[in-house]
Amino acid sequence: MTEPHDTHGAGEHAHAGHGTTKQYLAVCAALMILTFVSFFTFRLLHNTQVQMTWAVMMAVSCVKALLVMLFFMHLKWEASWKYVLTIPATIMAIFLMIALIPDIKWRFETIAGGRTPSEERKVHMGYEHEPGTPAETEQGGGH
Amino acid sequence: MTDPHGHGQIKLQYQPALPIPNGKLFLWLFLSTEIMFFAALIGVYIVIRFGAPDWPGPSKMHLVELIGAANTLVLILSSVTVVLALDAAQKDNASLARLWIAATFLLGGLFLGIKVFEYKSKFSHGIYPALPHSRMYEKPDVYFASAVRERLRVLYARIDADRAEIASKKTNLLAGPQTEDVQRQIKDLDDRDKVLADKKAEYEQAVGPVAGDANASAHALMELSKRIYPVHDEHEKNAEGEAEHESIGLNDKYPELKLPFVVTGGNMWATTYFTMTGFHALHVLAGLVAFVLLLFKRLDRTRAGIVENVGLYWHFVDLVWIFLFPLLYLF
Repeated sequence: MTEPHDTHGAGEHAHAGHGTTKQYLAVCAALMILTFVSFFTFRLLHNTQVQMTWAVMMAVSCVKALLVMLFFMHLKWEASWKYVLTIPATIMAIFLMIALIPDIKWRFETIAGGRTPSEERKVHMGYEHEPGTPAETEQGGGH
Repeated sequence: MTDPHGHGQIKLQYQPALPIPNGKLFLWLFLSTEIMFFAALIGVYIVIRFGAPDWPGPSKMHLVELIGAANTLVLILSSVTVVLALDAAQKDNASLARLWIAATFLLGGLFLGIKVFEYKSKFSHGIYPALPHSRMYEKPDVYFASAVRERLRVLYARIDADRAEIASKKTNLLAGPQTEDVQRQIKDLDDRDKVLADKKAEYEQAVGPVAGDANASAHALMELSKRIYPVHDEHEKNAEGEAEHESIGLNDKYPELKLPFVVTGGNMWATTYFTMTGFHALHVLAGLVAFVLLLFKRLDRTRAGIVENVGLYWHFVDLVWIFLFPLLYLF
């Protein structure tokens, strides 16, 4: 679309857009480095800052996914049809996730097989008491 | 729809809806549904995991993070080889394209091989996706206690049956003439009997009296479970995230025991782990089938579209693993 020579019809753009071998290898190296980043984040931070680890790893995964889609799946070089197919699916996937979030809190507080989560687990999950709910011990446990 | 020029003849010009081949369009539509499929699985996993009152860490479930990381690297490499195969096919270099597809096939096979190894290590520890094989219990309750008793009963009955057989053989031998050979056989039988008796005594001592006690407290049962299958809590780890002491459980020391054990949240963990990695492995398998079919074709420029479509699918499989790896191994 943006390239002037890419004005052929469907199916004739085999050479119109794709990366070079060098580019692919660079992306591959980046993906491997990012895998090690997740791994060492887990090794170094998982015991002290769990929520931080989760955030880092999800961010790293999203970057990796973008790299794969842009370069390996050639979306970087495709015409605007790519938005028609990818954006609706992505939106639905994201909304599905968002719609499920209330269930997490609900499960954590109510069903859970009749068990109440331990204080340790609550701290691990970054869960805070609401003012109304009865709590045997305050978090941070200073008595 | 009136023709402003009044010719009464409408010239329709047919154009594809999207400027891509039908195969590629189909594949992208298929991938859109696949995104939804895995988004649902991952979403449910997140709800179950973060809403759970307890969730076992990877070390409790014998999940080795390094193996998962290695598998990630294998899949990334296979993504590169398939993209290089497409490149070669577009340049009309059929033999090189086939070589890259073969390499991709091997890497995909390696991924599945590692997965099988992982699954087997789960199974050998009594971690299965469901009953009747799963030996995991949620709580140190009467069900767990009776399962341990039942397992011990079966084990002891087997040993007792063996000993009874030995005893009857010995009686037969004693009734006959006492040659030197018979004397030697009797001595052999005595030795075997002693080994079995020692084994039973060893098991009884290792398991302890708790298993036989119908009124054992939950705490005592939990201690028993920890001797059978040691679990390390997060706070027992040092800063590097490694368990400080790798204690051996009874199930590891005596593999034939196969005693039940308690891991709170373990069954839900197993269900989600096997469901997600299982569906992913099925997708890998489908990819391998596609690669085999490609290997029988001449992958020149005319077939570049097929290579591209299979490649797109394969990258998607890689993409899913990119999210599964941290979610399952590192969270």
